[in-house]
Amino acid sequence: MIQTALIRNAHQDLVADAAYDMYGLYLATCGLDQRIKVWSLEESSGTWNLEDEWKAHDAAISKIDWAHAEFGQIIATSSFDRTVRIWEQVQFTQEANGNGGASSSTSSGPNATCRWAERAVLTEAKGSVRAVQFAPHHFGLKLASISTDNLLRIYECLEQPSLTSWQLADEVDVLALPTSAPRTSSLSQSIATTTPTQTSLTLDGTSTTSLTASLLAAQQQQQQSQAPQQNRPGAGVREADGGWCIAWCKDRYWGEVIAVGSGTSGVIRIIQFSPHRRPQTLLALEATGSNSFSSGISNSLGRSGGSRSGAAGLAGGSGFASSKDDDEHNTAYSVTSVAWAPSCGRSFHLIATGSRDGKVRIWKVKPPPPSANSSGFDDQDASMDTLEERWNASLVGEFDDHKTHVGRVEWNITGTVLASSGNDGRVRLWKQTVGGIWRSAGHVSVEQADPSLPGDVDMAENTGVE
Amino acid sequence: MPGNEANSLNLLPPLFEAGNLEEFQQAGQSVSLTLSPRSNSFATFATPLKTDANTRVAQDSAYDQDIYPASWDKPPTGERRTLITDTSVIFAACRSVFERAKDEGPDVMRSSENLATFRKLASDYVLHLQDSWVHATQLMSNPDGNPHFDGEHYRSLYVSLSLFRTLYLPEDGVEDVPVGDELLDWLNTHFIEPSTEDGDQLSSLEHPWEDELFWPYLTRATVRGLLKSSIFFLRSLSSHPSENLQRIADRLVGLLEKHPRQIQFSTEREFFTASRRWKDRAKALRLELDRVPEDDRNDGYENWWENVSDILGILEGREEILERVCVAVGGGWKEIVCTYGVWIDVGLRRSELPDVVGRTLSNVPPDPTDAEDSLHAELMQGRTKHALAIAAKIDNWLAAHVADLMVPIGLLDTEIDDITGLSIRDTYVLNYADYLHSDPGLWRLTVDYLCTCGDIGKEMADQILLRVPLGLGDLPSGRNRQEHGENLESEAEDGDLSGTVKELNATCFDYGREPTRRTICRIAARKLTKLKKYGLAVAYSRSAEDWLGLGHIIDSLMEEYILHGPLRYVQLIADVTPSLQELRTEIGPRGVFMHRMMFAVRYAEFHQRNVQGDRENAALDLISLFEEELAPRSWWGVVLYDAIPFLQSEHHKYLSMDAVRLLLRRLEEVSLAAKQGCGEDYLTILTQILKVGSVKDALSQLDTLRLALARYYAWSILITPRISGRTSVKVI
Repeated sequence: MIQTALIRNAHQDLVADAAYDMYGLYLATCGLDQRIKVWSLEESSGTWNLEDEWKAHDAAISKIDWAHAEFGQIIATSSFDRTVRIWEQVQFTQEANGNGGASSSTSSGPNATCRWAERAVLTEAKGSVRAVQFAPHHFGLKLASISTDNLLRIYECLEQPSLTSWQLADEVDVLALPTSAPRTSSLSQSIATTTPTQTSLTLDGTSTTSLTASLLAAQQQQQQSQAPQQNRPGAGVREADGGWCIAWCKDRYWGEVIAVGSGTSGVIRIIQFSPHRRPQTLLALEATGSNSFSSGISNSLGRSGGSRSGAAGLAGGSGFASSKDDDEHNTAYSVTSVAWAPSCGRSFHLIATGSRDGKVRIWKVKPPPPSANSSGFDDQDASMDTLEERWNASLVGEFDDHKTHVGRVEWNITGTVLASSGNDGRVRLWKQTVGGIWRSAGHVSVEQADPSLPGDVDMAENTGVE
Repeated sequence: MPGNEANSLNLLPPLFEAGNLEEFQQAGQSVSLTLSPRSNSFATFATPLKTDANTRVAQDSAYDQDIYPASWDKPPTGERRTLITDTSVIFAACRSVFERAKDEGPDVMRSSENLATFRKLASDYVLHLQDSWVHATQLMSNPDGNPHFDGEHYRSLYVSLSLFRTLYLPEDGVEDVPVGDELLDWLNTHFIEPSTEDGDQLSSLEHPWEDELFWPYLTRATVRGLLKSSIFFLRSLSSHPSENLQRIADRLVGLLEKHPRQIQFSTEREFFTASRRWKDRAKALRLELDRVPEDDRNDGYENWWENVSDILGILEGREEILERVCVAVGGGWKEIVCTYGVWIDVGLRRSELPDVVGRTLSNVPPDPTDAEDSLHAELMQGRTKHALAIAAKIDNWLAAHVADLMVPIGLLDTEIDDITGLSIRDTYVLNYADYLHSDPGLWRLTVDYLCTCGDIGKEMADQILLRVPLGLGDLPSGRNRQEHGENLESEAEDGDLSGTVKELNATCFDYGREPTRRTICRIAARKLTKLKKYGLAVAYSRSAEDWLGLGHIIDSLMEEYILHGPLRYVQLIADVTPSLQELRTEIGPRGVFMHRMMFAVRYAEFHQRNVQGDRENAALDLISLFEEELAPRSWWGVVLYDAIPFLQSEHHKYLSMDAVRLLLRRLEEVSLAAKQGCGEDYLTILTQILKVGSVKDALSQLDTLRLALARYYAWSILITPRISGRTSVKVI
């Protein structure tokens, strides 16, 4: 690992989020100082130059994301001022022609030829907007946001060149969303847990609907009753109950699918949106509190994950209620970050989560085989469902190396490297070994190097500080 | 190691002192990150510990914050980059041989012809590794030189791949032959012992046996089959005080001079017979050695008899002596195994090697701290999967290229792992490709390697391809833009503006990545539109069959007219027309965009003729926009306004009665719509062009048209018979 540069004095307060554009040539950062800064990479020297900066929100910014390059240079930000804002890069000369935006750029250098202009303000949220993410480009210029009002919102841009008109296409109360699928659904939903005997418990949409619904209701009640009693740092009275994080499924095949983390139940819900029916939960990813694997132990976990999942799925709904109930009591933390790896031709998806229980988790999520969906099996066939025809998940990695809250997980573009960061002041990387086991692949720390430890000296020598 | 060793880095400047995490947290701080899609890098930054609405940070953290970009792989430079680039060509050749032969079954794949080809390719790899070793060593001796890896690293790769070639890719593709000589060759090439310096020093002495190095040197030279050295020093014993030793040394010289080597015989049977007879002679010499009296066995410097006995024991083919001697001279298990086929079992086959190695290793284990030694042990035992795992720790270049060679020669099963969805070979090649992504400039190679790894590799390649900067104005501002920006215009004229896009297109085409190619074209079209390179933009939109994007390009072109007027518009449309004309002849679901495009072109033709003074045809063009219903409603006001001069000419009457009536009808429709409050639909663009304040103002500008139409109509009635039809008439 080498430090390649240093952007000095980037913000005047802590940086809440940063995101690279699709080509990695720009870096957009935002902070508690309510400002957005866009940095451009000088490829020859590897240094980052300030391209533009402006005050963007009336409260701290929580998240920043770039749209696909197909739509131009567009940024979305979410903020504690309860808004999502859309920004577009405009050429300097064009700005003079009046592109309609109100750029409030203040301190760009003399070299800057681009400015950023506000294009839209989305104000529907009734609470802080914690996360915003653009949809994969094949769904058009859309974005999803999650806020502390627990609502997941999907917006669609109606007039692309101008970017000013955004329609609230969907609004879902994440916790109230039933997990039972409509009878006409071609996809059933599942609940995955890591309990060895109940790793991935699959329920079809017909016979166990009431059970699932009552469980979810119980779950919600539990969260509500637990929330005020929580006394962990960062878990506010109501805030922690609200929505935390979202990640779009990058695959086109399954339509618009989003993983959402909300509340303190430690559950990630995978929600499918469809123009033909109401949003439905395909799967809930839940790690039971009793499972605490070190890196070493989770190696064997990784190996056996798939088979355990299979066994649990086949077990059907029996015994679900009691075991889940027990697990629920152990689970009271927020999943603060979720990342959906690009599937890249794999027959499964990888979803990573970072939570306040100090764990980084990697889930292997298997959708039903394409044939099951395309053949459109109906309810009559539902009782004949085999495991392969449903979404199911297994935990293939669980790491407590951060020890404290994990604030961020993110995949690289091919889904081969997972990065996580936590309150231990470290960024950690995770890679899969040849046998499919996820292992630590190093870490970066902002702690001063301990001169007595070997290894870091070489790194420092490589540091090219601006 | 490149990208596959767990390692750590402390960023500079640090945010808290060693051991002071608690203080850092108490100040309300944590860290976060974002990964770069460009390369194997990320940015780290201090972030608030709490993320609630009322987030307020402790005062002491509200100070300037730095952002730390870092990479988990060091991008390859210098000799490393050369190796990567050069060996990618060999890799491609390997794949092409493999692809050709794979359909013909494993027997054909392992035919001696194919094996010889793979040996040749492996030898090419070995040569490049040797070059890198030399290159890196030279760089190390140069004060300014800063090799990516030291020479030792490449030596290790060179030695290991050479061993792999020796073991698994025999000369001429013939496997089932004694392997002793080849192994000894490998050992002597890569682990040179005894040292030349020792030999030089000893040979300069009058009585070399008096030196403590003498017997170890002589023994090791003999073990290594360096018989010229052995014979030279044995001959030097002719002046040794012991006559017994003189005689026996002389007999040993005679024996060694006749040592049968495989290469001297045309058949194995002859070789084995000669070897057996030769060993019998050695055993005969043992009888003579045993007869040397005890008191003549030590010359005061050394017990020469024991040393001669060891040498003779090896010649006799006694395994326990070879093992003991090799360990004593510091040779280890490798020396034992590589000389075994020369001294102990001259018929040793490759297939028997794992047994011999296993036996040897149980007595003389490899050095567990030395990855290279362990790798050699695994390779010699035929444990290919273990060998790859160790190779990957040394360098993922090695693991990838060895794994790639292993598959065609049947050393590695190609089954897909249930957990990863990948074969072993693909896993190592993907790891290497992942590492190549540390340098975005190596995207071509990254994609080449990825695309040999099935669908998963190809879809990963899509991700890489999509993130190659197109060089179309997406170069960031600042110095970059200044450096490159000035060239944009000239490049465009040279047709090189889209060089990278063309290359990406070709690569996508080669690997059948059509959806990716289309996405790249769509992005290119968008960027080119921004650069006002409408001709290229239309070409790429068309290539992507992105009709919506085409619509946006036409909108941008029309915007050009609104902003800059007809002259510029006509020029821009001229760029686009050839593409559009080709589009017209193609079949496809273009519908509404085609219609808008036709309007854009025909409207430009009108202005072109008008500017050139061909007003008669210009008038016809203008009217045809209504007649053929090409003009979108939003442009009716503009087209109507454009008609005014043609009605006001005192010398020419350009319009037919039908045309006038048509204009009148359209004008009526616009006026009616305006009265009903829908004027924007027809007049907004005219409002912009005339730079008037409102739709109402624009409509009043069209009053001139109404008047002109009325006058024209009235006059026309007077001369009706002469201006019927569609041609203009000259007023006499």
